[in-house]
Amino acid sequence: MEKKDSYWSLKYRQLREQNHSPNSEYGEWADNTLTPWNRQTGFQEKEFTNSSNIPIKEVYNSKDIPENTEKHLLGLPGRYPFTRGIYPNMYRGRLWTMRMFSGFGTPEDTNKRLKYLIKHGESGLSIAFDMPTLYAYDCDNPRADGEIGKCGVNVSSLKDMEVIFKGIDLSKVSTSMTINAPAAILTAMYIAIGKKQGVPLDQLAGTVQADILKEYIAQKEWIYPPEAHLRLIRDMMVYCTENTPKWNYISISGYHIREAGSSAAQELAFTIADGFYYVEMGMKAGLDVDDFAPRLSFFFNSSINFFEEIAKLRAARRIWARVLKEKYGAKKDRTLLLRFHTQTSGYTLTWQQPLNNVIRTTIEALAAVLGGTQSLHTNSYDEAWALPSEEAVKIALRTQQIIAEETGVIDTADPLGGSYYVEWLTNKMEEEAFRYFDQIDRMGGILEAVKAGYLQKEIAATSYRRQMRLEEGKEIMVGVNKHKEEGEQPINILKISKKAQKNQLDRLNEVRGSRDEEQVRKALEELETAMRKEDVNTMPFILRAVEEYATLEEISNVGRKVFGSWKEPVIV
Amino acid sequence: MEAGKNQSLFKGKPIKILLAKPGIDGHDRGILVLAKAFRDAGMEVIYVGLLPTPEEVVDTAVNEDVDVIALSLLNGAHMTVFKKVADLMKGRNINDIAVVGGGTIPEGDKPKLEKMGISGNYGPGTPISKIVEHITERAAEMRKLKSMEE
Amino acid sequence: MILLKLDELIQGIIKGDRRSVSRAISIVENEQVSINAKKIIKEIFTHTGRAHIVGITGPPGIGKSTMIGNLAAMLSGSGRKVSVVAIDASSPFSGGSLLGNRIRMQESLTRHGVFMRSLANRGMKGGLSRSIWDTVKILDASGSDIIIVETVGAGQADLDVVNLAETIVMVLGPGLGDEIQAIKAGIMEIGSLFVINKMDLPGAFIAQKDIEETLAMSPKGEWKPPVVGVNSLTKEGYDDLIMEIDRHGKFVKKSSDIAFRKFRTELEITIDEELRNRFYKEIRAFLSDNEKIRILMEKRTDPYSAAENLINSIA
Repeated sequence: MEKKDSYWSLKYRQLREQNHSPNSEYGEWADNTLTPWNRQTGFQEKEFTNSSNIPIKEVYNSKDIPENTEKHLLGLPGRYPFTRGIYPNMYRGRLWTMRMFSGFGTPEDTNKRLKYLIKHGESGLSIAFDMPTLYAYDCDNPRADGEIGKCGVNVSSLKDMEVIFKGIDLSKVSTSMTINAPAAILTAMYIAIGKKQGVPLDQLAGTVQADILKEYIAQKEWIYPPEAHLRLIRDMMVYCTENTPKWNYISISGYHIREAGSSAAQELAFTIADGFYYVEMGMKAGLDVDDFAPRLSFFFNSSINFFEEIAKLRAARRIWARVLKEKYGAKKDRTLLLRFHTQTSGYTLTWQQPLNNVIRTTIEALAAVLGGTQSLHTNSYDEAWALPSEEAVKIALRTQQIIAEETGVIDTADPLGGSYYVEWLTNKMEEEAFRYFDQIDRMGGILEAVKAGYLQKEIAATSYRRQMRLEEGKEIMVGVNKHKEEGEQPINILKISKKAQKNQLDRLNEVRGSRDEEQVRKALEELETAMRKEDVNTMPFILRAVEEYATLEEISNVGRKVFGSWKEPVIV
Repeated sequence: MEAGKNQSLFKGKPIKILLAKPGIDGHDRGILVLAKAFRDAGMEVIYVGLLPTPEEVVDTAVNEDVDVIALSLLNGAHMTVFKKVADLMKGRNINDIAVVGGGTIPEGDKPKLEKMGISGNYGPGTPISKIVEHITERAAEMRKLKSMEE
Repeated sequence: MILLKLDELIQGIIKGDRRSVSRAISIVENEQVSINAKKIIKEIFTHTGRAHIVGITGPPGIGKSTMIGNLAAMLSGSGRKVSVVAIDASSPFSGGSLLGNRIRMQESLTRHGVFMRSLANRGMKGGLSRSIWDTVKILDASGSDIIIVETVGAGQADLDVVNLAETIVMVLGPGLGDEIQAIKAGIMEIGSLFVINKMDLPGAFIAQKDIEETLAMSPKGEWKPPVVGVNSLTKEGYDDLIMEIDRHGKFVKKSSDIAFRKFRTELEITIDEELRNRFYKEIRAFLSDNEKIRILMEKRTDPYSAAENLINSIA
């Protein structure tokens, strides 16, 4: 039986052909000019490759990119396929948003910091949570011991969220919460506070990350099997579309995929493949792609290989626009725009010679800007060993301001457009992405591929390769494996006192002592019934439980009972 | 019965090592790299996956009769969590399994960890060869202890 | 506490002390059987023969590990002492290995106090089969009611498990399609019972019917292998699976044929091992003498004659 080629495999083959054009000019030059030169100067051949293991030539010329590149592959800014940017005047009209976030030990500290930011004109709040919260363990779970408030704020019940937002008018701010597995519960808490403040639900604005696929792929913070989480996210999507139209429910994140050790091409491919899955999920739930897809946004990493990062971001825009149009039938331009936030790479930072990190972050930030980002977080130079100090955060912010105000890179859109190398590399990244799309499709789709550990294995292989290259000195980290300074010691970590833990435990006990246990029991029972019926939306039941002060862990334990827990497939 | 130490118990036997992140911490990039690197260095590597409890770690180490337990944490909870593993070992009177640590561990914590019997405590960027060397030394110490008369 | 005396170790095994059991397994798990290993097995032998030995096999990626985790937890929950042995692949290049199959069973094992041990298939020239048999003996003598042996689903070690285990559970799943067709021929005689895992997935029901039909066509013996469907997420079907395992266990214990076959296979493996070990030192020495081998090669000596000459010279 002959099998029809899939969209992905057809596209992949097209791209492979497109990017494989013979270059006789290069060949002639290499024979007659390059080789004699190399011989004459005694040049030792070595390997030049980027993170995606794409070999790089000595030089690129017009023969390395297809004819009609401008017409077919680039267009102009603000025009399909948006390779050169999503807005016609790009940063002339509006700079990228300089968004900085970090976590603070207790809800009280967070409240103080948020108020400080609001006083200084910030209206976009951003909250990071600690590990127990991210995994939905209450602060009194033995597993949480020693981890309370370590990498962000701890939330065990609605009471903690009430403290975080005490005196803050939710109708006047937008809040971004970096939370995934328990995203529906935290969203419900936010809604509950809005209700208490009397803010109409359609004015609640903000974002939860809720990109559960990348948790299985990279960040590994999950509670249930993938299908269960996806179902809860679907419930949240439907509930929020109907009730809180300003609440963005998914931020599709490549950042963590990259930090887990992937290459730039893998980050690109896996993130966008996740995005396609959410598009299909929305369409399956009966939503019109043009109504729903514009609310999806992306979150990418910007790492140290300058041109590779720029090429990755340019390719991302083109892929998204094309596939949404060609495969998912999107009609409106708005739907085709890939909007993204970028954060500079945490992995490239070193505790050795920490000020070098300022330079790394600068280069990475510049790549993000030249790649056309909509918002940017620059890491602080001390983040390799600690939560950032105020001084370091300020320098990180100044880095963005210098790029924006002094360098002139914002004067024109996509200044690298038309560079032979950048265009060739953009095409190559696109091809690599489609190679993966095709492969994932052959495995039965991304959910199956993730459950089988395929993407995880690909990432682990890349990260192992990179580590070995570092060990062999084929790849360099200044201060780590070259230009070292002897006797250098890591700087001490900023410590969070045990006070945060005690503070949280006390409040949790208070909550347990003062709530109506009968109502809590009833709310959790009703939630269980709802979870057991695939077609019932769980969101109102989660909200009810939250409002009765059922704790984060109690609520998620209902799911643990109904859906079971999840162990990752064997990766190495 | 022949007298003397029986070396054949360990002759040609690879070092057996348990790799674990016994806290709430999903950052497994480093530990996966180490698992592969240790295997390529000829060790028998047991990796129990994410989120094992300290009890699970010690149970597994005993059942598998490993030479070394290697702990890694990047979430700053090492002083609490590593200590739990060390306490469990002490409580069960286990002194023929070495414990080594790694992760984002500040200098100031290292002597305290050493005192608990947790050695190494390497940070990010440490060459793998150095870690392998340390593990090999610790494993040899343990095997000397375990040698049995034949 | 360090275990230094063999007698204490043996007493420890019989009392069911975990550290004695695990140290004893380290001693028997070796390419070449040692004097200590032999002594352990000789001394504990009278304490063996009580446990029900269940082999679990099937293609990779079918969910064997998760299933064993569930199964062990449930058996243990019903008051039985359960042990698990898993045989894992190793890297053919470095001799090192990554034993990852604990990941999907760890939690339930610890919670239910199940003893589990991974054995690396270290690309040993021999010794793995004997290591497995000896390991199972130690677990048996330590008072296990049921010993579950998992294999990677391929290779010689698998065939050995077939001989070692009294009950063979063959795990299959939906969507294997051609694979099922290919392995069906060989596996139908092996399995004492068949499990279709992942009953929640499309195709599972058809797979079950398919296996049942094939079994119906096979020659009928005294035991008719049942087919059980399970869902590892919801634990549906596990009660049936345990019931069938127990039923087969009773059937086996009644059959002196099976016990006889098992004993004979073990004798065969042990004799092979003894022979190999008897000449081990000399063969190793011969094979590492490059000069001698080069001369043989240059003289164009055929391998049979060379081997015969060597054996004759040492026997």
